[in-house]
Amino acid sequence: MTSPAERLTALEAAAQGANGQRAILLALEDEAPSVRDRAIRLAARYVEPSVLGALVADGERAIRRNAGLSALERQGPYAVPHLLVMLRDPDPELVMFALQTLARIGYLPAGPAVLPLLRHRDPNVAQAAIEAVGQLREASAVPVLLELVNGDLWLQLAAINALGAIGAPEAVGPLVALVPDSVLAEPAVQALRSIAAPDSLEALLAVLPRVEERTLLDPLLLAIGVVIDFHPDPVPTCLLAGPTLAATGRLMSCLSQILAEPATDFDIGDSLQRAVATLVAAAGLAALEPALLSQLASAPEAGWIEGVFRRFPEGLAVRRDRWLADARPETRSGVLRAARFDTGDLPLLLASLDDPEPAVRAAACYAVGRLGLDSAAPMLAERLRRGEAPERVAAAQALGRLSADALAELNACLEPDGDEAVLLAALKILADRPVRALESAVFRLAEDRRPAVRRAGLRAAARLDGSRSDVLLLRALADRSQATQVEALDLLVSRGGEQSLAVLTAMLGTADSLRFHVIRALGQCRAARAADKLRAMFGECGPHERLQIVAALAQIAPPWLGEFLHQRLADPEIDMARLAAEGLADLADERALATLVTLADHPDWGIRHAVARGLQSGAHLASQHVLLTLVRDVEPVVASTARLSLDRLSPEVVRIPA
Amino acid sequence: MTAVDPAQLKLLTDLIEQRFGLTFQGIRQEILASKLGPRLRELRLTSVRDYYHFLRFHPDAESELARLPAMVTNNETYFFRETHQFDLLIGQVIPERRQTLRDRPLRLLSAGCSSGEEPYSLSIALHESGLAAAGISWEIDACDLNPERIARAQAGLYTESSLRACDETARRRYFVPEPQGYRLRPKYRAGVRCFQANLVAPQGTLGWSVYDAILCRNLLIYVGEEAFASVIQLFTRSLLPGGYLFLGHSESLLDRKTAFAPVMMNGGVVYRKREAA
Repeated sequence: MTSPAERLTALEAAAQGANGQRAILLALEDEAPSVRDRAIRLAARYVEPSVLGALVADGERAIRRNAGLSALERQGPYAVPHLLVMLRDPDPELVMFALQTLARIGYLPAGPAVLPLLRHRDPNVAQAAIEAVGQLREASAVPVLLELVNGDLWLQLAAINALGAIGAPEAVGPLVALVPDSVLAEPAVQALRSIAAPDSLEALLAVLPRVEERTLLDPLLLAIGVVIDFHPDPVPTCLLAGPTLAATGRLMSCLSQILAEPATDFDIGDSLQRAVATLVAAAGLAALEPALLSQLASAPEAGWIEGVFRRFPEGLAVRRDRWLADARPETRSGVLRAARFDTGDLPLLLASLDDPEPAVRAAACYAVGRLGLDSAAPMLAERLRRGEAPERVAAAQALGRLSADALAELNACLEPDGDEAVLLAALKILADRPVRALESAVFRLAEDRRPAVRRAGLRAAARLDGSRSDVLLLRALADRSQATQVEALDLLVSRGGEQSLAVLTAMLGTADSLRFHVIRALGQCRAARAADKLRAMFGECGPHERLQIVAALAQIAPPWLGEFLHQRLADPEIDMARLAAEGLADLADERALATLVTLADHPDWGIRHAVARGLQSGAHLASQHVLLTLVRDVEPVVASTARLSLDRLSPEVVRIPA
Repeated sequence: MTAVDPAQLKLLTDLIEQRFGLTFQGIRQEILASKLGPRLRELRLTSVRDYYHFLRFHPDAESELARLPAMVTNNETYFFRETHQFDLLIGQVIPERRQTLRDRPLRLLSAGCSSGEEPYSLSIALHESGLAAAGISWEIDACDLNPERIARAQAGLYTESSLRACDETARRRYFVPEPQGYRLRPKYRAGVRCFQANLVAPQGTLGWSVYDAILCRNLLIYVGEEAFASVIQLFTRSLLPGGYLFLGHSESLLDRKTAFAPVMMNGGVVYRKREAA
C-alpha cells in the first residue's frame, strides 16, 4: 500500500498522460482526502462535464458522485451547458444535483432555464429550483415565488429565502404578514433584511413591540437597522413609532441588554449593537441614550456611535443640555462627542473645558475643534502643551481643523527640547496643514537629535514650498538612521519636482542599500527620465534590485516596456518571469495579449494567473476560449481570477441551450 | 491594509509553508494579511508581492525570515492558561505511570512553548501538586520555532500581560518583581529546558521514546496536511509507549490513522500512544 504522498505524486504524473482521465477518475475515490481533493481539481481541468455528469448519475458510489459534483462546480461556466442538459434527465435526484450545482456556480444567464422546474412534481427538485433562482437572482421568478409563499412548508421556506436573495420589493407585504406569529417569521425577517425596502420600515417597527423572543427579536432589529440605513428619510417614521417603543418596557429592557452585552460573535454582535443604536438615535429613545453615550466615551472601538447620532441628531438635540449636566462623566463626554454645537454654544463648551474629569475636558476640546473657531486656537494650543494626555490628543485633533493662520499659535508647542509627545502632535498637525510662519521652527526640528522628532519634522517640512525644504530632505538622505533616509526619499517623491528627480536618478549610480528604495521611489513617481538608466543598469544589479527595476519600469511605462517585459519572460528565475507576465497583463496591448494567450498552458500557476487577469481586456474569441480553460485551472486562485475576467469580458460567454 | 490580491497572498503563503510548514487558509489568510500590514509599511513596501520578493531576494532576507514566524502566528499566551489539561496530567496520567517513575524522572515536552508561559505554568503545577514529596521528579523540555521567544523563555522575565491570570498571591509566590517586569523564581525554572526547534524539520532535536507526555496546543492549526502528519510521526517516535499527547481545543486526530488512541478524560479528549506503536 503506497502512502498518500506517493499516490499524489503518481496522480500528478499520470494526469496529463494517455491514461490521465482513468487515473483521475480512480483517484476520485481514494481513501485519503488530500488525494481526492487533488483529483477533483484535476478532474475539473481535464475531464469533460459529460463524463463527470455520468459519475453523478451513478447513485451507487456516493464518494465518486460527490467528487463529480465538486469537479463540475469547479468547472464553473464551462459546465453550465451540460448541467442544463442534466435538468432534462428523468431521474429527479440527478436534476436536483444539477440545480444545486448551477446555483453554486452562480452563472446568472442560466436563471431562466430553471423557471420550468419551480413547480416540479418532486418536492426536492422544486425546492432545489427555488433555491437556484434565488442564488441566480432570477427576477422573473418572483410571481411564482410569491404564490409558493402560501404553499407547502418546505417550498414556502425556500421561496422566502429566494425572494430575499433576489431582493424583491413586491414581497414585502406577504413577508411582513408572516411576522411575528408564523413558524416562518424568522426567515421572513431575514428576507426582509435582504430586501431592505424603505416601504417595510413602518410595518417592521409596528411588529417590534409584539416580539418577545430574542431568537426573533435579534434578526428583526438587524432588519430594521438595515432598512433605516437604506431609507432616504427614515426619521419621521421612526419618531412616530418612538413613543410606542419607549412605552414597551420589555422591549426597552432587551435593547438595553443588547447594548450592554459584549459581542460573543464579533460580526453579529457588532451589527446588532449598531442596529439598536440606529433605532435609538432615529426614534429618539431617550432612556437608552446615556448607555450609548457612555459607550462612545469609554470604548475606543465605539467611535461609530458618533456617526449614528450625527446622522440622526434630532432626538439628542432635545436632551443635549440635560446630558451635559448628567452626574456620570461618561455621559457628559459622550454627548460632547455626539451632539451638535454651534458658535452660540461656546460658553457651554468653555464650561466643560473646566470639568473635573480629564476625559470630559478632552471631549470638550474635540467639540470646540468641530466648531472650527480660530479664536479657540490659543486655548487649544495651551491644552496641547499643558493638558493631560487625553486632552493633548483631543487638542491636537481640534487644532487640525482650524485655519492655517490660527495654527501660528502652535509656535509655543515647537520649542526645541520640548516634550516629545507634544512636539510629535504639533508636527503632525503641520504635516497636514502647512504654516509658513512656523517654517523656521519646523526646519529646526527636522534636524532634532531625536529620530522620531526628526522624521516628524521632515514630514512637516516637506509640506512647505521652496528650495529650503528640498535641501533639508536631500540632506536627510544621508541621515544616520536608514528609516529617516527612506522617509526623506518618500517625501521627496511626494513633492515631485525636477530637482528631486534629478538627484534620485543620480543616486542610481551608488550601490548602497538605499538604491533599492531609490528604484522603488522612481517607479512610484513614474520618473520617465530614469527609465533608460534603470534599463541600462538592470544587468549589473542583484536579483532584488532587478525585480524592483521591472516593477518600477512597469509603473513608468516607457515606450519600450513591452519589448523589455517579453525578454524577461525567458528569465530562468520564475519570479522574474511572473513579474514580467503581470506587467504584460497590465500593459494589455495587442502584442501583450497575444503573448498571454500563448502562456495559458504554462506550468507555473503565477504565469497562468497573469494570463487570467490580463485577458479580461481581450475582447476576442481567443481570450474567451483561454479563459474558459483557465476557469477550470487546478489552482483555485487562477480559476477564480479567470472567472472574474470572464464575467467582465462577457456576461454570456457560454451558450445556453434553448 | 485593503483587500489583498489572493495571488500575491498565495506567493507568500506557499513560501511560508515551504519554509516553516505553516499554512494559512481561508479566514487565516486575512489575519495573516492584517498582521503583515504594519511590517510592510515599516519596510516601505507597497504590496504583499514586494514583501515576497524581499523575503526571497533581498540581502536582509534571512533576518526577515527569522522574525516572520513570530510575526504571523499567534504568540498570545499567559501563565495558567487552560490549566485543566495540567489537572488531567497530574490527576490521571501520572498516577497511571507511577510505577515507571520510581527510577527515572517524569519527562514532558511543551511543543510550541512560545515564551515559556506554558512549561513554567506546568512546572509550577507540578511543584504545587506535592509530587516531589512522593518521590517523583520531573524534567520539562520546551521548544519553539522562534529564537527570540526562546530567549525570552530562558530569561524567565515577564510583563503584566503574561500574568493576567495571576492574582496577587500567585504573583508574590511565583515571581520576583524587577524594574523590567516579573522574574519567575529559580525554583520553578529549574528542570525546564527551553530550546529552539522547528518540529516540521526536527533535525534530531527530539529524542526517541523519551517523553511520558507531550503538550502541543494550538500549534497544529498552523500546519498543512503534510506537516501535520510529519509532526504527529515525530511525536509518535518521541513518546514512550502508552505516553499521552495533549492537543488544543480545535485540533484533533479523530479522523486520522495514527498510532494514537483517543481517551476520554473528564469530558476532554487526549491521545494515548498505543503500546505496540
